[in-house]
Amino acid sequence: MYEMDLIERANSVNELLARYGVKFGIYKNGTFKEQLFPFDAIPRVIPADEFDLLDRGLRQRVKALNLFLEDIYNEKKIVRDRVVPEEFIYASSGYLPQCEGIRPPGGVFSHISGIDLVLGKDGSWYILEDNLRVPSGASYPLIVRDLCRRSSPRTFQEFHIEDNRNYAQLLRHTMDYANVGGLTVVLTPGRYNAAYFEHSYLAEQTHSPLVNGQDLVVEEDGVYLLDYTGKKERVGAVYRRISDDFLDPLSFRPESLIGVPGLFQAYRKGQVAILNAPGNGVADDKGIYYFVPKMIQYYLGETPILSNAPTYLPFYKEDMKYVLEHLDTLVLKDVAEAGGYGVVFGSKMSARQKEDFVALLKAEPRRFIAQEVIDFQDLDIMDNGVRVPRKADLRAFVLSAEEPVVWKSGLTRFSRNPDSFIVNSSQGGGFKDTWVLSR
Amino acid sequence: MGIKSIEVTDRLYWLGRYSERVYTSLRLFAKSYDDMLDKGDTYGELCRSLEIPNIYPTAQNFLRRYPFDESDPNSIASNLRRAYDNAVELRQEIGTEELSYIQLAVYEMNRARLSDAPMLEFQKIADNILAFWGIIDDQVEDENTRNIIKVGKRVERIDLFGRLHASQVDLHREVRRLQGRIDRCTIRYDRACLAELGRLVEAEPLDYSGIVQTVERLTAV
Repeated sequence: MYEMDLIERANSVNELLARYGVKFGIYKNGTFKEQLFPFDAIPRVIPADEFDLLDRGLRQRVKALNLFLEDIYNEKKIVRDRVVPEEFIYASSGYLPQCEGIRPPGGVFSHISGIDLVLGKDGSWYILEDNLRVPSGASYPLIVRDLCRRSSPRTFQEFHIEDNRNYAQLLRHTMDYANVGGLTVVLTPGRYNAAYFEHSYLAEQTHSPLVNGQDLVVEEDGVYLLDYTGKKERVGAVYRRISDDFLDPLSFRPESLIGVPGLFQAYRKGQVAILNAPGNGVADDKGIYYFVPKMIQYYLGETPILSNAPTYLPFYKEDMKYVLEHLDTLVLKDVAEAGGYGVVFGSKMSARQKEDFVALLKAEPRRFIAQEVIDFQDLDIMDNGVRVPRKADLRAFVLSAEEPVVWKSGLTRFSRNPDSFIVNSSQGGGFKDTWVLSR
Repeated sequence: MGIKSIEVTDRLYWLGRYSERVYTSLRLFAKSYDDMLDKGDTYGELCRSLEIPNIYPTAQNFLRRYPFDESDPNSIASNLRRAYDNAVELRQEIGTEELSYIQLAVYEMNRARLSDAPMLEFQKIADNILAFWGIIDDQVEDENTRNIIKVGKRVERIDLFGRLHASQVDLHREVRRLQGRIDRCTIRYDRACLAELGRLVEAEPLDYSGIVQTVERLTAV
């Protein structure tokens, strides 16, 4: 499926990634470090018909999630109709009462959705997680494709691989669709954020100013970018890479120094678009994940095209019973955690740890979900010149403007540790290019 | 000229200054190193002229610390780190390809630190700085961006030339270049200082400390 020179020249591609500063930040022992994100040249290849299924399933899912967000912050029909228990809405840390009654410009809540999937050994794709707040990772396969095409031109001549280098155009279109009039800016918490490379790279690729909170001011509910000379220019859309908590000290955490005072009020009045909308955390909560197939049926009247991993909610008595009886075969996830943290495998807990965990689970059943461990397909990677299988997932990106569009690529992350299912970059994982075949 | 935030403007200016400081320091260090081969411990003169504290007990210590020690704020490596710290926050402004030359200079500094013949490796750092300036000139479309970096570079060069007691011809040329550039960008400066700088480089004998003080005040507004 590829020319061998693509694999043989992987080191050169990694050297170019280092040259271009393709890194992520990580805190170790309280010290910030920039690390290279190791690239493996063996691609994940998705045949055209398989991608067609993913495309339909992902668009369906993101459509339903957007309808859910609009409903939750407005009419709450899904709660009234008892499809989703209200405990799962109002107890979620991602639910923001400040967002009640808001309909964002263009009607889209999740403009950029990062949906994590795995391919099971049975050949089916399973959704592991929805990321609707500030999903990151698109920049890595975007920049590496250019380098791979330089490394092995014949591969890209001979095989029918969809060109993924349109991500910036898709993103720009999404931003422009939401924009209420004025500049579009990328708002970053700054250099010491893990995804800072991505913030700056996407700003460059979309020709948008990269700003921090101090560069923006809000006057009479209008948001403005301040110039060195004192000139101000109206901002119509903010692609924020700051979490809700820190977005605006007047509406959320008052101690935030990286937000923009008054930004949320301007958004509430429709004077600026925020991508993604504040409050989306209520829909990508690990507890809410269980209900997404029900949302698809409820809002769209359709059968879900893509399946969730089999999931149990200890909140329900029968599920609690199942979880306690099958602890050894399940993976337990703390709904408040992300980035691969707060994930424990029942099979790896000692007797004492299990005892402690069960006590915690009984005390806080809403805090955890349990999932069957999916036997997902390994992907080969090159490890010191040897081809070895490793666990890998796929983050697909869905960009929503008039309609959701699935980017014909995605971030494939893999674990470098043979015994680990955790693929997150912050925990030592690497990445691959994701090829979608055009025929 | 497109809108540019205060932070971006500052970083462009300081990227210009630090890249110039690294480049000129490398050249000075190379000369000082060469002098020491024949004349012994002459590094004190370089410290005096650059007005950096002579914290180096021996020539060997100076030869290791002045180029490489990032805990020494006056070292070449520290100045390169500052250039990088500014550049990395300007990717969207100057471009990934352009930024890569500063990144390469940092990698070359790390290699030089481990080398038995660092003077050979320093050439690669200088080459990358020169390539960075070249690509900025060639590829960055926004005139304001290019000119802010160049103003930073000129200010730093005049400052260093003043400290090093450069010739009147050299100082005159650099001040003229600065005068021709500074109004072509949005950087704020003190017009009286610029006029004063013009007078100072015409005077004989040259008042070097006056030149250094004046150029340092130029953009501190």
